[in-house]
Amino acid sequence: MKCEKVEELLSPYIEDELSIEEKKAVESHLETCENCSLLFSSMGETMESLTEFPELDVSESLLDRIYAIPSRKRRFKFSFDLLLRPSLQPILAAATILLAIISLYMFHPERNRVNKFVDRQIHLGYSKVGRLYAKAESFATSLGEQKENILVSLKNINPLGRDED
Amino acid sequence: MLVDSYSKRVFNMAYQFAGSYEEAEDLTQDIFLKLYNSLPKYDFEKNFSAWFLTLARNYMIDNYRKTKWEKKTRDEFNEHLLSSDAFDSPENGMVREESKKIIWESLNYLSPEIRMTVILRDIQGKKYEEIAEIINLPLGTVKSRVNRGRLQLAKILKEKKERKNEM
Repeated sequence: MKCEKVEELLSPYIEDELSIEEKKAVESHLETCENCSLLFSSMGETMESLTEFPELDVSESLLDRIYAIPSRKRRFKFSFDLLLRPSLQPILAAATILLAIISLYMFHPERNRVNKFVDRQIHLGYSKVGRLYAKAESFATSLGEQKENILVSLKNINPLGRDED
Repeated sequence: MLVDSYSKRVFNMAYQFAGSYEEAEDLTQDIFLKLYNSLPKYDFEKNFSAWFLTLARNYMIDNYRKTKWEKKTRDEFNEHLLSSDAFDSPENGMVREESKKIIWESLNYLSPEIRMTVILRDIQGKKYEEIAEIINLPLGTVKSRVNRGRLQLAKILKEKKERKNEM
């Protein structure tokens, strides 16, 4: 068996994962090859050193920092949650549209023409409302004049069709 | 509860991986912050420890990749370790201590993936199956990484010893 192959098998050999034949081959190679034998003992020493690696305690200051995370996160989350709350979304959408319209108006290159157009539309609206009001008034007057006739007609109506005694 | 159960484990893992006490503290804090952000995504049918250690492992390796040029050195070997129990026993002679120092310092020569696998297997003593779950790789790949890591460290130790004997 070549040294490269033995190197690959050293770790599985230590963990007892080789077949009987492989194990024998590795052992006979280690008996004759000083280099591999030294590597094998170094590997054993490496694994032993790693196993004995001590466990350290966590400092109080680190524990304080970790315990502080949830409350810090909650504060941070609060501001975002408020904005991202679904019930606020229609309001935020309306505000966005309103801002878009205002900015469109503010930065429109022909703002004066827009102003005139808006004025004209408002005047037209006023005159339409005035006309409607006048019509309603004349209708109410004619209704008042016919009031007596309407009352008599209503009294004469006999919905059940019974004869008067 | 979460902090009590996992802070020591994560801190030690970070220290074994990064080799710097301060950096391990920062990494631990960042990992817990990431944990709180990721908790809503946790699938309750999964093993929590493995899930959390996967998250920690991924964070450490990603962080290492981003800042690897600053991560060449580890803390002085004696700074935090000599005060612990491993060096109290009288049979731990100078030679043994020297070997431990070499192994400890050589961990940084391993690639982050191999280093993490060696840490999980040889320092933390986890089973290969557990490691495969944490690093989300087939068992064969895990074993191959452990073998390569041990071999690299053993070669470094052997070379340093031979050089010392030549002097």
